[in-house]
Amino acid sequence: MNIENSIKRFHVEVLPPKQNAENLEERLEKFADRYTRVVEEDYCACITDNAMGHLSFQGTELIEELELPVKPENVMIHLNTFHTKKDLDNILNSCAERGIKYILAVTGDGSPRLPKLRPLDLGINGLESVTSVELLNYIKNEYPGYFTLGVAFNPYEPEQHEFNKMRRKINAGAEFAITQPVVEQNEAVEKMLKEFDIPVVVEAWMSRKLHLLSECVGYEIPENTEYDPVANLEKLMKNYPDCGVYLALLNYKRQFPLLKEMRSYAGR
Amino acid sequence: MKIVVCVKQVPGTTDVSIDPETKRLVREGVEIMMNPFDTYALEEGLLLKEKHGGEVIALSMGPKRAELTLREALACGADRAILLNDRALGGSDTFATSYALSKAVKKIGEVNLVLCGKQAIDGDTAQVGPGIAAHLKWPQATYVSRLIDSKESILTVERMHEAGNDVCEVELPAVLTVLKDINIPRIPTLKGRLASRTAEIPVWDASFIGADPAKIGLDGSPTRVVTTRKPDARDKHTVVLDGSASKSAGELVKILKSRIKL
Repeated sequence: MNIENSIKRFHVEVLPPKQNAENLEERLEKFADRYTRVVEEDYCACITDNAMGHLSFQGTELIEELELPVKPENVMIHLNTFHTKKDLDNILNSCAERGIKYILAVTGDGSPRLPKLRPLDLGINGLESVTSVELLNYIKNEYPGYFTLGVAFNPYEPEQHEFNKMRRKINAGAEFAITQPVVEQNEAVEKMLKEFDIPVVVEAWMSRKLHLLSECVGYEIPENTEYDPVANLEKLMKNYPDCGVYLALLNYKRQFPLLKEMRSYAGR
Repeated sequence: MKIVVCVKQVPGTTDVSIDPETKRLVREGVEIMMNPFDTYALEEGLLLKEKHGGEVIALSMGPKRAELTLREALACGADRAILLNDRALGGSDTFATSYALSKAVKKIGEVNLVLCGKQAIDGDTAQVGPGIAAHLKWPQATYVSRLIDSKESILTVERMHEAGNDVCEVELPAVLTVLKDINIPRIPTLKGRLASRTAEIPVWDASFIGADPAKIGLDGSPTRVVTTRKPDARDKHTVVLDGSASKSAGELVKILKSRIKL
């Protein structure tokens, strides 16, 4: 499958259990079930990396420990800069061994318990901190040809700044981009589609928890706003027919079954 | 190398209250965590074990639920864990606590090194590590920021103090208390976490470790908390400075000058 076709489909977020989960066995079972359903439907299972700074298990160790099947095209590992060098290499080695193809390299959210990669860890002098650009460079150099690398695009950041960042990311090896959540349509995303010649995945916020969405987009969306996640997803698929869709916080009971019909309708 | 790492369960929040009767922190119903400084001690123990072989034993004194913190240590890679739990130990101050922990270290036997965080974030005394060394009559190095070299019988460490840093050689057996600079603590793996959930954690009481009842608990504690009070709330408010950058900067300098002695 070429990258355009591979990217132009449903990318379903699968959140790993948190480190402090009390009912860990139950959570692991749920994770395995969700992952398997996503992969079997031929969507891409996107496993987050300590999202929002919450200490969680790594996608690669979950796949290994739970003996989950890997279809190279159907798994995307998110990888941020909050790791020790040793852990970073372990994750990348595990991805390479398992044939996982897609890696989303992001700067990420820290927390006091999470170590941050230092520039010297990656052999870089004269830099204050490691961002997704340095991470991309490192992966590209150390694992040539192993992965297809993606990056985040934030349409809510000042445009010039975000576009310059995007250029640096592409120069460092980014081959596709995933946006922050988009509600119906976004001007900055459209400009980005015109400006950069890489496949793009737009993020659909599938939850009704609007305070979390507010945090992602960086502006306040009142809790009493009428927001229908499925209707928004449909609009995104219509407005961005050539893009993939990233489904954040999908409800696996009610929303997941709807995807099949939507996919055949939209050719994803 | 047989290494004991002392770990303490502490509140994972600053929003704690103090029992007016006992003058101690109310720990029930409060989110808990491993004392952050102890995570560095644990990591250093694990690194030493990786280099020299041997065993890392996590030791904690506290209520039954301190077992959760010991499981955290096991998840990170400690080989075994021991909980010191006895009603008779309740109310121990730092002297009695370090005495009890030193008795547990002796009971474990043939220990080469005891590692502690520099202090616990709830009590903030930094006395327990040195106390253990004193009770055991072992050498100690406190505020260790770097382990320069480790041999079977001697450690070379850098320790921080008010006037700078010392490089010390410490003969084993010894006690070290460590700072955050010493390493980067590892995150538990799923494999480790799962194994830790079913691991057996022996509970030792005061008589099992041979503690003198006169030296533990409230009666064995030479210090008493007589009164406690919350610090006064800080006067926090936001000042918005309008106008051009240079005008706002001038205003800001004025405000800062009025508040601090430059």
